[in-house]
Amino acid sequence: MIQVSNLSKSFDTIHAVNNISFSIRKGEVFGLLGPNGAGKSTIINLMSTILKSDEGEILINENDIKQNSTICKQLIGVVPQEISLYDEFSAVDNLIFWGSLYKVPAKILKQRIKNILKLIGLYDRKDDLIKTYSGGMKRRINIAAALLHNPEILFMDEPTVGVDPQSRNKIFEIIETLNQQGITIVYTTHYMEEVERLCKRIAIMDAGKIVAQGTQTELQKQSNVKEAVQITFQLISEVQLEQLQSQLQIKINQSEQKIIIECDVNKDLSNIISICNKSNLRIKDIKLKKANLEAIFLSLTGKQLRD
Amino acid sequence: MILTIFKKDLKLFFADRKGVLLTFLMPILLITLFAFAFGGIGGGSSKAEPIKLLVSDLDNSSDSKSVIASLQALRELTLIPKEVIEATNLVHKGKNVGVLILKKGFQDSISAGNNLPMELKYDAAREIEMGMLQSVLMQSLMSTVGQKSIKAKMNTYFDTNFSGMPQEMKEKIFNNMDAIKGGMNTSAENNMGLKMTSIVKESTKIGNLGLIQAVAGTAIMMLLFSIAAIGGGLLDEKESGTLKRLFYSPLKPTDILFGKMGAALVLAILQLVVMFVFSWLVFGLPIFKDFTSLVLMILATAFAVSSFGIFLVAIAKTRQQLQGLSTIVILTMSAIGGSMIPLFVMPAIMQKIAVVSVNYWGIQGFYDIFWRSLPLIEILPKMGILVAIGLVMTLISVLLFKRNVLKLMHN
Repeated sequence: MIQVSNLSKSFDTIHAVNNISFSIRKGEVFGLLGPNGAGKSTIINLMSTILKSDEGEILINENDIKQNSTICKQLIGVVPQEISLYDEFSAVDNLIFWGSLYKVPAKILKQRIKNILKLIGLYDRKDDLIKTYSGGMKRRINIAAALLHNPEILFMDEPTVGVDPQSRNKIFEIIETLNQQGITIVYTTHYMEEVERLCKRIAIMDAGKIVAQGTQTELQKQSNVKEAVQITFQLISEVQLEQLQSQLQIKINQSEQKIIIECDVNKDLSNIISICNKSNLRIKDIKLKKANLEAIFLSLTGKQLRD
Repeated sequence: MILTIFKKDLKLFFADRKGVLLTFLMPILLITLFAFAFGGIGGGSSKAEPIKLLVSDLDNSSDSKSVIASLQALRELTLIPKEVIEATNLVHKGKNVGVLILKKGFQDSISAGNNLPMELKYDAAREIEMGMLQSVLMQSLMSTVGQKSIKAKMNTYFDTNFSGMPQEMKEKIFNNMDAIKGGMNTSAENNMGLKMTSIVKESTKIGNLGLIQAVAGTAIMMLLFSIAAIGGGLLDEKESGTLKRLFYSPLKPTDILFGKMGAALVLAILQLVVMFVFSWLVFGLPIFKDFTSLVLMILATAFAVSSFGIFLVAIAKTRQQLQGLSTIVILTMSAIGGSMIPLFVMPAIMQKIAVVSVNYWGIQGFYDIFWRSLPLIEILPKMGILVAIGLVMTLISVLLFKRNVLKLMHN
C-alpha cells in the first residue's frame, strides 16, 4: 500500500531523514518508534506530500506522491501532533470546515460527522466550543477531523501527547476500531507501550535512520535481546548453584544471592520454580526481564528510548 | 522564577533579529520623517521649490507683459503660460495651485486708475501654497503696476475734487508716496482689484475640505492597520498548527493566501462603507453626490489596501515581526501619503514622495470625488493605480508566501 524507497530529507546541515526504506501493507497498523528528533514527523510530512524529499521515492497505492499529490491527499488522512482546530468553533463546525476542504457533499458530510462523533464518544458535546474541551477530548476531535473524507490510510503523529491515561485508552480503542474497519494506520510515537499494544509491525528510528524494522519478534531476533528471569534466594551455596545449573541446562549469571536466567519466560518459568523447590532453595523475589521494545531500542542504539 | 521568565523572554526577543531591528528602527525613521515633513531638517537652509503658477494674458499689452516679466523674475514663482480654459482645467484637477488671468483692458485700467481686471483662480485644497502665492503676487504687483495705478487714480481724484491744483503740488505728493506706501498697501491691494476665485468651491458648493481629509485620510490609515491585523491571523494559524493541517488537505498554498486576501478585501470594503456612511450620517458628507465613483473608489482602495496588508504578512515570519513591520510601514505611508498631515501643508519634496504611498492615491481619489467633483473618467487613472498597486502586491505576496510561510512551517 505504501512503499518508501531510499528517502532522504535535510534541513540545512541536519539530516532529518537519511536514506530510509520501508513498506506498509494494507490494513496493518505500522509503528514508527523513536525518540524526539528521530525524524518520525518528517517522514509523516514527506508521506503526506507537504514536504518534498531531497532523494528517494514514496508510492501510495502505486501513485508517486510527487507526481500525483492530489490523488494521494485524497487517500490519506493526517492527525497532526498539534491540536489543529479552531478554538472558537464548535466541534461540529470544525468538522464541517475540515471536511469541506475535501469537497465531501454536505449531506454525506453531515452523516459522517454524526457517525464519527459517536465513534469518538463526543456526539453529546458536538455543539460545544473546542476551547471548552479537555485536552483528551480535543485530541479525539483532532482525530475525527482527519477521517471525514474516508481516507484509506491514516497517518497519526503522536496522537496521545499530553493526554491522561483514560483518554489515551479511549484513543487506542478508536484506533483499533478504525483498523478493524480496514483503515491502514501509520502511527508515530516515542511510547513503546503504545506501539506494543497497537502495531503489527514497527520501524525503530534514531537520528533520521531506521535501525530495525519488523514484528516485535523479528526485532527481538535482530537485536539479540533475550528474555530473562532474575531470582533472588534467601541463601544459595556454590554447590546448590552448580546443581541448579546442571538441572536447568541453561546459562546462569550469579551475583550475590541473585541469579539471572536467560530463558523463554512463558515456557520455562514454571519449570525453573519447580526445580528450585525440589532443590530446597527458598525464593525471596522473582523479576521478569522481558525483551520489550525499550530493551530492544537500548540494544540497537545504545540509548534509552526517552533520551 | 520571575527572573527566569524575564531572561527567557529577552532571549526570545533578541533571537528574532528582524523584530529587533524593526523595534529600534521604527522610532528613528518616524522621527526623521516627521522632522522632514515639518521642515526641521537642514536648519531651514534648504531652498523651497518655486510655486508653479499658470498665467493667461488676455490683454497682451506692454503693461501686462511687464507684469508677467516681473513675476517671472521672482525666484519664488515659475510661470507657465496657458490658455484660460486649459489652465482652469489643470487647476480644477489639482495639477496646479492656480492661474493668474490678466483680462482685456488691463493696461487701460492702469492708465485710468480703475480696478485692474485680473483674477486668480485657485485650488482651495492647497491653502498653504495659496497663502504664499498671494503674498508674493501682491508684493510684485505693487512694485510694478500698483504705484502707477495709484498715481493715476489720485490724479483723477485731484482733478475731480481739487481742479486747478498745481502740477508741482501733485508731484510733491507723489514723491512723498514712498513714505506713506506702507500704510497704503492694504487699500492698494484692494483697489488693484485682484479677484480671488476658488475653482472647486464654485463648482461643487461643498466647502468642508477638512472633513474630506479627515475621513479619507483616517479611513485608509486605519484600514491598513485592520488589514494587517486580519492578515496576521495567518501567522496565528501557523503557530497553532491549523495552517499545516490546511496544507495536508488538497488545497493549494495560493488558495489559502487568496482566501485570506478575499476575507481581508470584504472586511476592508465593509470598513470603508461603515466609515463613509458614518461620515454621511454624522457630518453630512455627501456620499450620494457621485455614488458610482465612490463605490468604485472604495473597491479600488480596499483591493490595494488588502493586498498591501497581505504583503506585510507575507514578509513577516513572526507575530512580533508583523507588529513592528506593520507599524513602521503603515505610519510611514500614512505620514507621507497625507493621512496624518494634509499634503498641502507639506514641503514640495514630500508631496513628490507621496506618490509611492497607497494612502496618497486613495486620498486624492476621494478628494476628486468630494472636493474637486471630477467626473468618473478623470478619477479612473487614480483607481487604476490603486488596482495596479494591489496586483503588484498580490504577486509579490504569492511569491513571498511560498518562500517564507511554507518554508517556516517545516522548521
